Amino acid sequence: MRRRQFFEGMAGAWMARRLPGAVDCGCALAPAQAAMAPPLPGSKLKITGLKVFGVTLATDSDRPYVFVKLETNDGIVGWGEGTLEGKAAAVIACIQDFRDFLIGADPMQVEHLWQSMYVHSFYRGGPVIGSAISGIDQALWDIRGKALGLPVYKLLGGPMDPRGVRGYYHANARSLEELRRLRETAVSQGVSCFKTGIPGYYEWIETHATIDRAVRSMAMLREGLGPDIDIAIDFHAKTSPSVASILVKEVEPLNLLFIEEPCPPENVQAMARIARRSTTPIATGERLITAYGCRELIEMGVVDILQTDINHVGGITALWKVSAVAEPSNISMAPHACEGPIGGLATLHVDAAMPNFLIQEICSGVEPGEKEKIWAEWLGFPAMRMVNGRFPLPEKPGLGFELQESALNKYPFGGTRPMARVFHKDGSVAEW
Amino acid sequence: MPDLAISKIDAFALREPVSKRAYTVVRVVTRSGITGYGECGLVSAADLERTRAAALGREATASESIARDLAPMPRLRAAINMAVLDLVGKSAKAPVYQLLGGPTRAKARALARLWGNTDASLAASLERVRAMGFRAVVVPTPVPSARNQGQTFALASVRRLEEFRKAAPDMDFVLDGDGSLTPGDASTLAAAFERFHLLWFDEPCRVGNLSAIRKISSETVTPLGFGRSLERPADFQELLREQVIDVVRPDLAFYGISQIRRIAALAETYYTAVAPNHLGGPIGTAAALHLAASLPNFFIQQIPLPEADEDRRMRAELLAQTVEKPVDGYFPLPSEPGLGVTVREQAFEKYAERIQ
Repeated sequence: MRRRQFFEGMAGAWMARRLPGAVDCGCALAPAQAAMAPPLPGSKLKITGLKVFGVTLATDSDRPYVFVKLETNDGIVGWGEGTLEGKAAAVIACIQDFRDFLIGADPMQVEHLWQSMYVHSFYRGGPVIGSAISGIDQALWDIRGKALGLPVYKLLGGPMDPRGVRGYYHANARSLEELRRLRETAVSQGVSCFKTGIPGYYEWIETHATIDRAVRSMAMLREGLGPDIDIAIDFHAKTSPSVASILVKEVEPLNLLFIEEPCPPENVQAMARIARRSTTPIATGERLITAYGCRELIEMGVVDILQTDINHVGGITALWKVSAVAEPSNISMAPHACEGPIGGLATLHVDAAMPNFLIQEICSGVEPGEKEKIWAEWLGFPAMRMVNGRFPLPEKPGLGFELQESALNKYPFGGTRPMARVFHKDGSVAEW
Repeated sequence: MPDLAISKIDAFALREPVSKRAYTVVRVVTRSGITGYGECGLVSAADLERTRAAALGREATASESIARDLAPMPRLRAAINMAVLDLVGKSAKAPVYQLLGGPTRAKARALARLWGNTDASLAASLERVRAMGFRAVVVPTPVPSARNQGQTFALASVRRLEEFRKAAPDMDFVLDGDGSLTPGDASTLAAAFERFHLLWFDEPCRVGNLSAIRKISSETVTPLGFGRSLERPADFQELLREQVIDVVRPDLAFYGISQIRRIAALAETYYTAVAPNHLGGPIGTAAALHLAASLPNFFIQQIPLPEADEDRRMRAELLAQTVEKPVDGYFPLPSEPGLGVTVREQAFEKYAERIQ
């Protein structure tokens, strides 16, 4: 066999050391080839340490944060986040699996390391590998920015808008009265947009009562928040294409900013069917890994807005690429952010440099809560809080914050917590 | 483990006295004497002989392998499939849904067709069917007085359903076009019902008329159901791939449990619900409930609820248990081993129909 002869010729010395009876598969020959790769021109920086932190804020949280810290030979450290809801321990283990890719590597070669982590993982994407790469990638960008003395958004060519990054909070209002109060607070703070989830759980075909209830609740949002605040509604893939098609058509008169994840993400054609039959803009993408994962959605003209998550997609490198791939179709970017503050801040840098940026999410209310206090305590400033409707640009080099390991000590890893499990009236599994 | 080789296959054709609805009960017995029952539409004596030739002596647990060899006789394949699952379940002392990896749910939503074809007769049966515990019904479209009558027809249909919603606000409706409407009328109706929120519009036009279906489905968001007459799984695949179907309706008496599970697996990848069509007897209903309890994407099970007391009595006499009594819109699941029903064979003779 020619292929075999080729490898034997190239890697004869290594072959000779093989254990008799070892697995006879072409993959096993790869290390010999790697040894022959020419060295790339490097910086003086070397990665000397990799630490992973599971950080549990509350014992019932389904998303203990997963933070990565990369250390270098000259003392610069980089932080990144790979929080994956419901799968914390798996991502922590996966990041550790990448140790051999990283220790001794040049942290300035971000794209090269990203390619090696992704391509050489063979199975490529998926949320666990994607989140692990995301955490490492953000830390590499943090190091690079610090080494070059520039905030990451400037490395990326930003800012598009010096006033900062427009954002939205989540509206946690259950009644018309609460919505009206929320409107007043928003107007006084300069907040211009809210998002909220569609209430309830939906079977793949639904009753009149359930559909009617959902439509009324969405109409109440417009009534309470007023005509001049943008409203986005998260279907959270709770609905099937059949049910979502009815709902998005019903809410057309509300002129929503977008509805999010009208159906689960595996079947792009099914989502296309919803988009084709309504004028309501469709947003999706928080569960998609790498630009490859978004390609079909973009190509088929299914979405108006992509909601890539920097902690899963593959970090800054991959989020930027998704925006580049979406831009020729004039698809907007409204990145997802429902995990910790590091991923949130990393996203702001990319947001600030994307020509097709629309708005940035933060899973917080208009009034800060406990979580936001802890973030401020860690980072020394009110991270991911808006001023006059915009997130201020982080101006320090790298991702723009300092974090001491000791600050995380108060919140040791409490293990993986599963995500919510919900069920329909007949006891069958429901999407949430 | 008892000897589960199939030693005997018999078929009993039955007919309801008033509705004249006919179906076949198939009995399979193993060498160890365990009996299983299944059900399908009417079959020929020739097909029964071919089925015996293919299935006798086979291990009852090899239901997929038996099904493959019975492909030329799909009705008997369906009945044998239910029967072998029934007897394997009895042998393992487990309800059929456990053999199939269920249950996926605790109860199964119920659907019945209203009797009659005038507004008055349908309204009367709506009340009766509701009192029987159903919360979802199939309503036929009014009989068109001419082809393509547009507005008159749409108004008559909408008025009918709006009256019913007023009379029974907690009921949900499937509108049945019975595959008989012109594409124009079907499209007009689908649009007219968009904001009414039917559960779905069943067979708005002929299922073979794909371009018409494509048009209806792209113009409106009223969910569409198809499939009760489709005899090839590939036909379901085509409707799913074409993005024109919201409810797949394979016929129980044609596909049996295992074949519908395959169609449901396909539909699941399109987030599409399954509502098996069922026009047979109560054994079929028991099988349908086990199927429902094994599927993640089951939505509702229609039963051919007879209008006449005599017909309902026949269904009751066939089984020692009641499987067709919904509670607040849902059928409870059978819990005994196998299909969970005891067949009373003495009823066979009373309601016998000759197999030709």
